[in-house]
Formats: sequence, C-alpha cells, structure tokens
Amino acid sequence: MQHNTLNYDKDIENLIFRLVSHLNSDYAFSKRSVATMLLQEDEEIWELVKQNDGSNYNEIRAMINEFKKNTSESVLYQISRTQQEESKKILQKVMTVDKNSGSKLAKIVNKLTINPITGIPLLLLVLYYGFYQFVGVFGAGTMVDFIETNIFDEMINPYINQFVNGLIPWKVVSDLFVNDYGIITLGIKYAIAIVLPVVGCFFLMFSIIEDSGYLPRISMLMDRVFKKIGLNGRAVIPMTLGFGCDTMATMVSRTLETKRERVISTFLLALAIPCSAQLGVILALLSGKPMAMAVWLVFMVLIFMLIGYLTSKVIPGEKAGFYMELPPLRMPKLSNVLKKTYVRMYWYFKEVLPLFILASVLIWVGNITGLFEVLVRYTVPVVNMIGLPDKTAEIFLFGFFRRDFGAAGLFDMQSSGVLNGRQLVVAAATLTLFVPCVAQFTMMIKERGWKTALAMCAFIFPFAFAAGYLLNKVLVLWGINLG
Amino acid sequence: MECCNQKVSMISRIRNLTNRKDAHKVEQNAQKKIALIGNPNVGKSVIFNSLTGAYVTVSNYPGTTVEVSRGRYTYGNSKLEVIDTPGMYSMIPITEEERVTRNLLINERPDLVLHIIDAKNINRMLPLTLQLIEAGFQVVLVLNIMDEAKALGIEINCRELQKILGIPVLEASAALNKGLNEIRKTIEEQIKDAA
Repeated sequence: MQHNTLNYDKDIENLIFRLVSHLNSDYAFSKRSVATMLLQEDEEIWELVKQNDGSNYNEIRAMINEFKKNTSESVLYQISRTQQEESKKILQKVMTVDKNSGSKLAKIVNKLTINPITGIPLLLLVLYYGFYQFVGVFGAGTMVDFIETNIFDEMINPYINQFVNGLIPWKVVSDLFVNDYGIITLGIKYAIAIVLPVVGCFFLMFSIIEDSGYLPRISMLMDRVFKKIGLNGRAVIPMTLGFGCDTMATMVSRTLETKRERVISTFLLALAIPCSAQLGVILALLSGKPMAMAVWLVFMVLIFMLIGYLTSKVIPGEKAGFYMELPPLRMPKLSNVLKKTYVRMYWYFKEVLPLFILASVLIWVGNITGLFEVLVRYTVPVVNMIGLPDKTAEIFLFGFFRRDFGAAGLFDMQSSGVLNGRQLVVAAATLTLFVPCVAQFTMMIKERGWKTALAMCAFIFPFAFAAGYLLNKVLVLWGINLG
Repeated sequence: MECCNQKVSMISRIRNLTNRKDAHKVEQNAQKKIALIGNPNVGKSVIFNSLTGAYVTVSNYPGTTVEVSRGRYTYGNSKLEVIDTPGMYSMIPITEEERVTRNLLINERPDLVLHIIDAKNINRMLPLTLQLIEAGFQVVLVLNIMDEAKALGIEINCRELQKILGIPVLEASAALNKGLNEIRKTIEEQIKDAA
C-alpha cells in the first residue's frame, strides 16, 4: 500500500479538507492533489476545475482567497517547503554520503571545461582536432575525394552517361537522369559522394561529444562569455544542438521559459548557426586554406554576437537567469555512439536523398521551360555584387532549396578550381547566413507561427547578401590574400 | 535524423487530436499504460528503448526528448503501452515540455508511473515522487545511474525507502544494462494489481 507522506501545516490541511469536499468530479489526480495545485495557483488546474466542478468554482475561489488574506506567508512556498522538508527527512533515514569519494580527475576536468580561461582554449582544441581535422580534412577531404573522384567521376559517371545517352536518344529525356544536372550524376552524387561522408564524420564526432557530457558545458561556457557582452545566455542552450540539426534545435527551443528567449533562439538558429551538413561541407571547402577558414569563423562569430546583442536589445521582455542541469562528464560508450551515428545518418540520408533527387527534377523542369535560366539571370547580378562569378548563381538557387545542397554545389565547383580564396569565404559566409532549409522553415512556422517565421526570413535574405557584400568589400579593400 | 522522427510523432499527435473525443472510450478496453516520468537526463529514454525495443535518441544532454514517444512492451501474452515523456521537475509545470508531460498524466491516466531519478541527485528529485504518490498514481521508483552515485560515495537503503513510501524501489544503471530485468519483473507484478 502506498503511503502519502506529505502532511502540510494544520491550516493548509484544514483548507485542503474543505476543498476536497467541493471537488466532486473524477480527476486524473487525487482530489487532495488537485486541491494543492489550486492553492499553488496552477492555471490549467483551475481551468480543469472550472470545467468539471463549475458549480462549486466560485465557492472554491472564495475559500482560497479568504485563506490567502489571512496568511502572511505565500501558500505556494509553504507547500513546496513541506515537500522539500519531507523529502529531506526521508533521505536522512535512508541515505549516507561519503564525501571523500568521487574522482578527483573528473572534478578537475569539469572545472577546466567551464572556466573561460581554460575552457575557451580547450574548446578551440576540440574544434580544431575534432572538427577541422577529422571532419574537414579527413572526412571532407580524403574521403570525399576518394568517393567523388575515384568512384563517381572516374568509374560511375562516364559509364552511366554513355549508357543512358545511348539508351535514350533524346537529350531532353536523358538529361533528367545524367549529364550536368541529372538525378544520378548530380542529385545522387551530391548525396552519396559529398554530403554522406561529411555528415557521417560530423555525426560521429558530435555523438562522442554529446555523450561525454561536454555539450552542456559548452553552453555554460558560452553563457558566461555572452553575459559579459549583455547577451541573453539562456537562449544559447539549444544552439549548441543546432550544430547537429537546426530543425531539431528549433524544436528544442520550446524548453526555454520565456517567449522572448524562444524568439531570439529561433532567429539566431535560422541566421547564424550552420547545421552539421553545411558546416561539414564548409569545413571541406576551406580546409586547404587555414586563413580563409579563420576569416569565415571570425566573421560568423561577429555576426552572431552582433545580431544576438541587437535582438536582445530590440525584443522586449524579461531576462531569464541561466539555469541548466550539468550532467556528469563520462566516457562515451562506443556502442551507443555508433548506434546513434548510424541512426542519424540513416534518417538524414532518408530525408535528404529524395530531396536531392527532387532538386534535380526541378532543375530539369526549369531547364526545359527556361525558368531556371531566367532565375539564374536574375541572381547573377546579385552574386556579382558580392564579388562572385556568374556560375555561383546556380549554387545560391540550390541553397534556397536546401542548405546542404547549396554547400555541396559550392564544394563541387571549388574542386574544379573556379573560385579563389576570397570568393570562397564570401560564398561560404553568405550561404551560412541565408535560408534555413525547408524543414527548418516548416518547424519555425510550427513553433513560432507564420508571422514571426516570415518576418525572420524577410530579414535574413537581404541581410545575408548585405553581409556578404560587406565582407567582400573589406577583404578587397584590405587586400587580404586568402590563397 | 531526429527531425524525421518528429514527423512521425507529429502525425500521431494530429491523429490523437482528432481522436480525442472518443479517446476515453477506447482507453477503457485498451491495453494498460505505463508512463516514464522524471527530470531531464535521468535515463528515461534508455529504459524506454530497452523495454520497447524501439529506438529514440539518447544523449547526455538535458531536454533531448521534447515530444512523447510511445512503444509496446510485450511479455507472455500481455502487451503494455509504454510512454516516454519529456523531462518534468515538479507537478506544477513551468516550461512547455513539462506541461506536455502533465497533460499526458491528466488525459491518459497511466495505470503505472515509473518515476526514474538520477540517484546522485535524489535530494532534488524525491519531492516529485512524493507528489506523484500524493496524486494517487501507482508509482514505482527507479534509482537510476546508481553506478555514478556509488562512485560519489552515495549509499541508499532501498528497503527502508520502500517501507517508508510503500512503493517498489529499484536500483539500476540502465546505460550499463544493469537492473533492467528487475524493472521488467516489477512492472509485470505491479501492472497485475493496477486498477
């Protein structure tokens, strides 16, 4: 038999007793529990009581108001104090703690990670080796090179091109499958040869960091840094998750307490946080040029801080304190890491492949109808304005469709050596800033509503190009050579 | 990745909304339900995966589960519906995800509540156990992540705690596959008695 151990002060108990006698309906909770929630002014429970025991509603209200008038201490506080004290009393009977136990190493490492002086260099080290070296150089460099060049470009594409072109004599039809923008030669190639190895490496690294418990410490560290420049720290929490998937992070932003934090967080995710696929490909793009990489990174951080600072000034509302459960640091379990990486890759690939194929089909339709050409023609002046060659216009159109598709296109183009270092940085920065992918945009609408989501996009599009323009001008003006 | 998982649960959520009117009728003959309740990052999802054989993403980051997942736990000839919920700190919700969990308790009235806590932080989490008992749920308390608690020198007398609360109290280290059989056994025993 279960024992209810919660006994409140005598006055409260008397009141609960009277309240219970006015609750006649069947609630999911015991009437006693409903009564305590009414006392704690839980609006949803009040609503529930209104619906189910409407006839007694006014009387219940009156009893509680009367009681509150006569007590100096908040009832809410009294109730939660009783709950805390009771719990403490029980634990005194059943729990012992040996203060001397616990790993000293874990405590030291913990401190190192969240103290800004040691934490920031440590974070940079993790970023450099974990992401730049592993994802960028190994995943995006070595692996993509191998799959794209050795397998697709040399083995699959020429053969398939020849085969399909021979099979289907009409170039219009065969273009759907092969040649420059075909489903197989573009859509599937991008998905398998470029995005998959990059994203796979990224997910592996991300899973390790996630399971080790380092991720929340990064949030904590960022909070400390951001507070110094007046930024709202709490909104940073879902952002570290955004590097995995912005769509998921947008959804997680609902765990934030105030509407203000949710809006700021959603906005920054859409604008300044590249998702894993995008980040991976950008790492790949810039991996041969450390200076270019540094410029991109500094630029993104500056934009993030500036916009974060401005939004927190512009959007009114209460600032919330930072509170986050810090889970312990632990050794990641290999089986869990592998399984998680696999599941993420599987879901990602399942989502991305049809979309990439669809993109190929859309381009094909656009080519036949001439619409693609028209769109490209309109985009050309814009990309020229930010210092990029005509050919990149296509990439930005891809990017509208999906972040990673645009990034993959850029990567493809870079392999053929069309772009110089400055152009690469400008293109990568602009692509990072602009458009959330379709899935993220849908999630923004779902979580924040049409108006907010559209308003954010209305800002992001012109802003991304303006920022790209500025970056290009600065680089040209200072004559910075990025190789 | 996760975003796609969500699509599935979004669809099922919409379905739930449209069915809400008859939901109550159906529930009465339907299989019994177990809800997994607890603070963020105490291992609810690991236990959910192990009970149902499903896979929801598990991570060492509080708040990874923001939507409800459902799965089926089969033993012998019986089937139970298992519900994984977003983290909840107290019966009085503050954030949206806590609200999701409490509404689930209100609307679905689980036959059994598995309150999962991080044994290291039992002093912060036990008050919710007391509230769940007060609210009249049939509760099983799982002291999870026991391995780390022990490493910190924390010893908990389960038998005594069980006596005081009048509910089954189990130790587990779910991520290391420890204590899961006991959880299963206890669920099977308890669900028999559930009204």
